[in-house]
Amino acid sequence: MRKRVVITGTGVICSLGDSPSDLHASLCNGMASCYQFDESASNGFRGNGSGKIGSFQAESYLKGKNLRPLDRTAQLVVSAAKLALDDSEWAPERLSANPAGLVLGTMFGSVHTIGKFDRHAVQQGPACASPMDFANTVINAAAGQTAIWHNLRGLNSTIASGSASGLAALRYATDLIRFGGQKAILAGGADEFCFESFCGFERAGMLHGSDEPGTFPVPFHSGRTGFVVGEAAGLLMLEERESALDRGARILAEVLGHGSKYDCSGGERAARSIACAMQEALQDGEISPEHVGCISASANGSVGTDRDEAVAITSVFNGKTPAVPVTAIKSMIGETLGAAGSLQTIDMVETLRGCTLPGIRGLAENDPLLPRLNCSVAARDIKRSPALINSIGLDGNACSLLIAGCSALS
Amino acid sequence: MNSWPKVVVTGIGMVTSIGTGRESFWNALLAGRCGFGPVKGFDTSRYNVHVGAEIHDFKPEDYVRHLCGETIGRSSQLAIAAARLALSDASLDLSGTDLEHAGVCAGTTSGEPQFIEHFDDHYVQGDLKKVGREFITRYPCHVVPCHVAMELGFAGETLMIPTACAAGNYAIAHASDLLRAGRASIMLAGGADSFSRITYTGFARLGAIAPEVCQPFDRQRKGMVPGEGAAFLVLERMEDAKARGARVYCEVAGYGLSCDAHHMTAAHPQGEGAAQAIRTALEQSGLGPEEVDYISAHGTGTSTNDRLETIAVKRSFGQYAYQVPISSIKSMLGHTMGAASAIEATVCALAITEGRIPPTVNWRERDPECDLDYVPNVARKRHVRVAMNNAYAFGGNNSSLVFRASTA
Repeated sequence: MRKRVVITGTGVICSLGDSPSDLHASLCNGMASCYQFDESASNGFRGNGSGKIGSFQAESYLKGKNLRPLDRTAQLVVSAAKLALDDSEWAPERLSANPAGLVLGTMFGSVHTIGKFDRHAVQQGPACASPMDFANTVINAAAGQTAIWHNLRGLNSTIASGSASGLAALRYATDLIRFGGQKAILAGGADEFCFESFCGFERAGMLHGSDEPGTFPVPFHSGRTGFVVGEAAGLLMLEERESALDRGARILAEVLGHGSKYDCSGGERAARSIACAMQEALQDGEISPEHVGCISASANGSVGTDRDEAVAITSVFNGKTPAVPVTAIKSMIGETLGAAGSLQTIDMVETLRGCTLPGIRGLAENDPLLPRLNCSVAARDIKRSPALINSIGLDGNACSLLIAGCSALS
Repeated sequence: MNSWPKVVVTGIGMVTSIGTGRESFWNALLAGRCGFGPVKGFDTSRYNVHVGAEIHDFKPEDYVRHLCGETIGRSSQLAIAAARLALSDASLDLSGTDLEHAGVCAGTTSGEPQFIEHFDDHYVQGDLKKVGREFITRYPCHVVPCHVAMELGFAGETLMIPTACAAGNYAIAHASDLLRAGRASIMLAGGADSFSRITYTGFARLGAIAPEVCQPFDRQRKGMVPGEGAAFLVLERMEDAKARGARVYCEVAGYGLSCDAHHMTAAHPQGEGAAQAIRTALEQSGLGPEEVDYISAHGTGTSTNDRLETIAVKRSFGQYAYQVPISSIKSMLGHTMGAASAIEATVCALAITEGRIPPTVNWRERDPECDLDYVPNVARKRHVRVAMNNAYAFGGNNSSLVFRASTA
């Protein structure tokens, strides 16, 4: 018997605030992330809008224990976990009696910690390498640190699927509850901003091309040149529906279905692979395309993947009138890599609560070379129908997740 | 789980320091051959240890046919080789396979570490302009299963589970779930790690590397030996395997995963999480402890791991712990990190089909705290119907997989 999976709480640390409702309000108002780029440590590189969340202080969320063993990725995750546990009312006593799991999606873990550990040993000699940093060089370090901090003794896993990691983690956790007998799993994703990954994206020519003030990447726009890279952590408490109802939990939304495909051609069939992932999610959730109320697109301003996604959305939803409304929140929050899919999902939970879908900042007109999508600059009202969330990696992973708001549940 | 479709292993492939491919690897294991030698991958002159378990005779061009073998990292190369060997072992004709339902699920500790190591060398030399596109396109760990899928034309779910030294077990567990849930019809599940300066430095700094050999469960054991390798298993639903007349090694009967939530690098002092994983795996498999005929140990050769693993086995198996044979192939291969539990899973499959248990070599002196049957030094004949594969990792991740001889 397949179990039903519900969302009972969310926690987010991102450049648009540390509460899901603030994040959603900022997105609806078209506010831009203001990432801070450290010029002094940039080795001559320019940020072009990329950077850290300037205001993040782990101390304001995490009290009573030593923060030193946590690197920045772990601090982001442990803080977001705290917010999600509070929001879903999983107090320490409940966690002690009922082991909850944790599934974290991440692209890099902390490539800064890994690089720093290695460079220190290269420069100072291996005897000077830091054992504490070494413990954090494993890619599952943030998940381990979060489990220790919050006493999460259930299943603990880390999922890497590039910038689709966060959504991949939600899919993985959903199936563990549906089929694997798990009752409660905190799932989502995170990546920190660090010079190492930034430098990599910059050298590969993937970033937004202009550092003129006021310019920013606009998904699906004809002038798009790349993305800005930011950082965030987003976690959702997923629970088996019956056990959530038994404990009297507040139910925010339900996960109806999901799908994933890989484009093994390295490009030419990417749109088809994204479309297949979306169709798999719809079939899995037993929802036909005309009953989908809105789409949160993965588009981040990249030339190729934005095009492939637009083609895929059109092929799945073509002819369904009125055309399904599409948003792309990376126009405001940037590409947060492993966190991206979980941030989109958290925002869709908020969207379905208030029935207001954020717009796409700066998208006055769809790129004429792309199929025409139902996009808007301004936020708009939508029906409380199931929402589809896409997350597409930079190298061929395509994931989709289908959720329904609480009033649509029976 | 009993009403779910059964998932079976129909092919195995591995690249290791003692042998590549099923026959050569298995014969080396039964003969107790060791893969240890002086580290050649980087200069260890500033280290107080110099031993490693590298693979010296690997030629990527023998396996990498479609991707550009020189530009992808060594973990991807090893993974592609292991995946091709597994597919060929499974006699799987890809031309008749629905590739959109063929997926890859891999585990790793470090992914492709040499790319960040090169980055660091450029950084230290103040020459970051030398960092090219390959850093971002070849370094992140998820590229390993992506490269395998791309090389083979697999278009189903492609996922990396980087849960460090237990990652192979996590990957196999997830792949069997995907098959049971009908999300895939063929899965390649396994793990890969290439020899890494970062990993070596870390374990050297922790004083965890043995000066010469790895001798798990021995009283005089002095630590682990970092190694490298890759292994993949071909997993299918039983009905599909039967329909195509495939040879079946065994069934993936169940698994248990748990987290100590205790310490990043040290296991729980009473083996609590590890014992929980064993119990869950047995429960999910519908088996009692006495039905387990062989345990493939995590058995790294460090003082703490081997002692706590022994405690965890005693806690979950009771008196029967003294009767079940336990062995650690890390005594021969060293610790191949994220590949280790995948390689050890192929050993469980072979133990079931071949009726042999590989030994724990380099075992000389009994440790009063490690007083179980570790199959010392000599391989043993034994009818193995059920084999358990244990693996533990940084972050307090514990995993146990159960394989069972196929009955139908």
